[in-house]
Amino acid sequence: MKNLLLGMKLARRELRGGVKGLRIVLACLALGVAAIAAVGTLRAGIDAGLQADGARILGGDLEIRAGYEPASAETLAWVRARGGVISEVALLRAMLIAPNGERKLVEVKAADTLYPLYGTLTLDPAQPLRGAIIVAEPSVAERLGLSPGDEVRLGEARIRFAGRIVEEPDRVATPTVFGPRAIIPLELLPATGLAQPGSMITHEYRIRLPEGVTAKVFGAELRAAFPSAPWRIRRADQAEPGVNRFLDRAASFLTLAGLTALLVGGIGVATGVRAWLDARSRTIATLRCMGAPTAAIFSAYLLQVLALSLLGILVGLAAGWGLTALAATALSGALPVPARIGLYPTPLALAALYGLLTALTFALWPLGRAGRIPGAALFRDVLGAGGFWPGWGVGIANALAATALVTLVIATAEQRFFAIAFCAGAAAAMLLFRLGAWGLMAAARALRGIRRPAWRLGLANLHRPGAPTPIMLVALGLGLTTLAAIAQIQGNLSAAIGNEMPARAPNFFFIDIQPDQVARFDSLARETPGVDEVRRVPSLRARIAAVNGTPADQVRTTPETAWALRGDRGLTYSARMPEGTRLTEGAWWAADYDGPTLVSFDANLARGWGIGLGDTITVNVLGREMDLTIANLRNVEWRSLGMNFTLIASPGLLSSAPHTHIATVRGDPAQDQNLLRRITDALPNVSGIRVREALEQVGVLLGRIGTALTAVGSLTLMAGALVLAGAVAAGQQRRIREAVLLKTVGATRGQILRAFLVEFGVLGVFAGLLAALAGTAAAWGVVVGIMRQEWVFLPGTLALTVLGCMVLVLAFGYAGTAMALRVRPAPLLRNE
Amino acid sequence: MGGSAGRVNILKGVSLDIGEGEAVGIIGPSGSGKTSLLMLLAGLERATTGQLTVAGRSLARMSEDELARFRREEVGIVFQSFHLVPTMTAVENVAMPLEFAGDEHAFTRAEAALKSVGLGHRLTHYPGQLSGGEQQRVAVARAFVALPRLILADEPTGNLDRATGLAVMDLLFELRAKYGTTLILITHDPALAARCERQIRIEDGLISSDTTAIPVAAE
Repeated sequence: MKNLLLGMKLARRELRGGVKGLRIVLACLALGVAAIAAVGTLRAGIDAGLQADGARILGGDLEIRAGYEPASAETLAWVRARGGVISEVALLRAMLIAPNGERKLVEVKAADTLYPLYGTLTLDPAQPLRGAIIVAEPSVAERLGLSPGDEVRLGEARIRFAGRIVEEPDRVATPTVFGPRAIIPLELLPATGLAQPGSMITHEYRIRLPEGVTAKVFGAELRAAFPSAPWRIRRADQAEPGVNRFLDRAASFLTLAGLTALLVGGIGVATGVRAWLDARSRTIATLRCMGAPTAAIFSAYLLQVLALSLLGILVGLAAGWGLTALAATALSGALPVPARIGLYPTPLALAALYGLLTALTFALWPLGRAGRIPGAALFRDVLGAGGFWPGWGVGIANALAATALVTLVIATAEQRFFAIAFCAGAAAAMLLFRLGAWGLMAAARALRGIRRPAWRLGLANLHRPGAPTPIMLVALGLGLTTLAAIAQIQGNLSAAIGNEMPARAPNFFFIDIQPDQVARFDSLARETPGVDEVRRVPSLRARIAAVNGTPADQVRTTPETAWALRGDRGLTYSARMPEGTRLTEGAWWAADYDGPTLVSFDANLARGWGIGLGDTITVNVLGREMDLTIANLRNVEWRSLGMNFTLIASPGLLSSAPHTHIATVRGDPAQDQNLLRRITDALPNVSGIRVREALEQVGVLLGRIGTALTAVGSLTLMAGALVLAGAVAAGQQRRIREAVLLKTVGATRGQILRAFLVEFGVLGVFAGLLAALAGTAAAWGVVVGIMRQEWVFLPGTLALTVLGCMVLVLAFGYAGTAMALRVRPAPLLRNE
Repeated sequence: MGGSAGRVNILKGVSLDIGEGEAVGIIGPSGSGKTSLLMLLAGLERATTGQLTVAGRSLARMSEDELARFRREEVGIVFQSFHLVPTMTAVENVAMPLEFAGDEHAFTRAEAALKSVGLGHRLTHYPGQLSGGEQQRVAVARAFVALPRLILADEPTGNLDRATGLAVMDLLFELRAKYGTTLILITHDPALAARCERQIRIEDGLISSDTTAIPVAAE
């Protein structure tokens, strides 16, 4: 306690001299904390937005999502009997054909007169959604050259294009995937001929509850009343699960990225604190000579570092919060939901805690060492504060801070495994660079016999006592590893989408082909010039109800295979094994098989669910439950963009169920427009999805993800650059002194410059090479382990990373050296 | 001379001619301009007016790099506070001027130089591991290693105790005699200056006395 008070007094006096040397510590912490605070605040803001606008986003307090089959009349009657107001919408895809024959695939929402129950549908010109009309997003009118009043065709119906959609309140809950949105009155749907048995339509019933009834209670009662009904219930107070999952993942990824920046910043804290203490070693030694105890010295400097850290954290919190407010305004159009930016204490407190633990983890060690500087240092030239053992107390405190930091990272992560992998990776990378530094210094020492003075001097600077090689290598290396990893992950993503897929992908998917249109479709498609291949299969939608008798929601699966138990799956039937099928287990049934229905199942899902040959999957097809026995397992190549079905059944019972056909067509892209016109003119209810356009959509999405990734990578590199600048600045006094002495003994400026360039160049190349190695390993882990993609090695990207690294280090080194060379020697050489 | 505070008249009308092989002691009170004169002679500062010729070369028009080359070929300097590079070993410090001159035998010669000042056993020690006297002996070895024609010494014993200082001075004069080097020794100790054959006194930027005043035409 006495020592603490003494320490406070000393700290107060020292702070009079300013904190110039600790500015880098402040900046490093501020940057990392800002990143984490920004991500946390944005996430909280979006959550708040989802909570507050939940009913508007969902379209009701509660929703019955019935999938491909309308909800039963009893269900609706049950709801109405309890005071619920129901608004029904149906979602489907269809071709919209302009008077001039131009056509476009649109995502149609057929909405009843009560739509929307919450919020407003804003149209231009303003009008109610009544009569034989269609309204669409502005892009549709632009693309098809439509103006209000034009007669358009949707399926078999001729209707009036009435205007543009300005705002669709429930857009988030009903995202558009394959084309822009168009809305028609629900009463018009039968006339379009698009709603046929087996058509790909989703029916949703939004419910407004009477006063005093909570969605939770109502939902539970509804489920209890219809325990085996095939529909699902969504509540406004539970944000859209898909959106939530996406946000969770994005937030946890961005938080980890922010942590990387903070980690690199932590190295900056260590460098900054060390340099600052080096500059004070004489003062410390003087204090020691006058009898100051270790604890007093330690607490004096710890208090100063903590004061600066708190300031850095505050600056970071303010900047992070400000950034979020700015970003939320700038991105208001791109964000799926409106973010309500406000002061959310939890994410800010968390960011502050991260900052504090990082500061302690990285500052305690050099502080502990400084406390041990002996008074004798005054009488001998001591090379920095390095080399002193900081004592057990400080060592243990340091270990505790590091453990707390790791625990916090893992405990607050949405995906624990990912967080653990991150921590392990970060630790491994730090170790790699520390060992790398050791190796580099040993190599430089071994090369001391080299003749050329610039090389000898430059290399010697790398291994001299007190050389900043380890700290610079770790800081630069971590920043670059992140960048190299992100560059390669991004490259792999674009390679997977951009290069590999379209070559194998078909030109078109045609959906909703009715059984009586099959022959016509085949002949039309095959007779179109330029068409090489037409594949067509029957298609049903099925929901998996149970696996081996266990209800779907209770089946234990691996996380990455759980998706297949949610929502509808594609189901087809086939007597023969489809071309290109790769069976991994079991055998295909005989062409004339006529027993209980068998199924060929996705081998990967079977592994994830722990099932195999002979097990039973119960599916619900259009309200009827059906047991399918697994006869064989097959590898499904989802990325082939062909017709991939999770379930392929033996014919029999299924062939008599109402279903439609889907087809893929491959051929000369020049004939695409012609083909689409021929098919959709003759078969108005059939929709053609152009794969190229869908891929372009994916490309746009990937572009956005890429931008986010690059921003995050730049943040880490920025932290790295800051640390590098700090390390160069910390060594600047030494560099100036050396440059002056070298000049005095006759070195030309060119020789001095070359020596420093050798030092920084070797460091840059070495850091770049190690970062390329570590970054590639990290990217490989993410691409193969998490994204389950094929790995493509990208040497060009890597070479750019290494080159960029060298340029960066050289630029910093050059700037520092050039500054040192401008210093006039005489004042430094005069007697002190 | 130019300085951070603008042009300052530090040396005024100093006209001085020192012959090859001479040993000159320059004395004077603090702030009289002794060190400034030494800096000018070493090409570490530039005179704003006047002429300066050292070893037959006019320093006024030389570029920074020409001055650096001039120093490594013609001048060795010994400072009061040694000015060794703290991150270099003794032998590396001594070898520096030779290395910059591209001497292939820099290290062999540096070792020999250190042995000649009695530090053969301290070759790989860093300055921090050496005593003050040892550090100054390293500095003397560094000054002489390239066999310059001129040695400039600025209070070389100022940071040393009397006995050590005497030993260093003995070494300096011994080496100077051995190589016939011109020595300009700046000191405020008249006894040290007396060891030189010529003593010049500077006061307030002017030469107030010169024991062997060689008449030089005043400008």
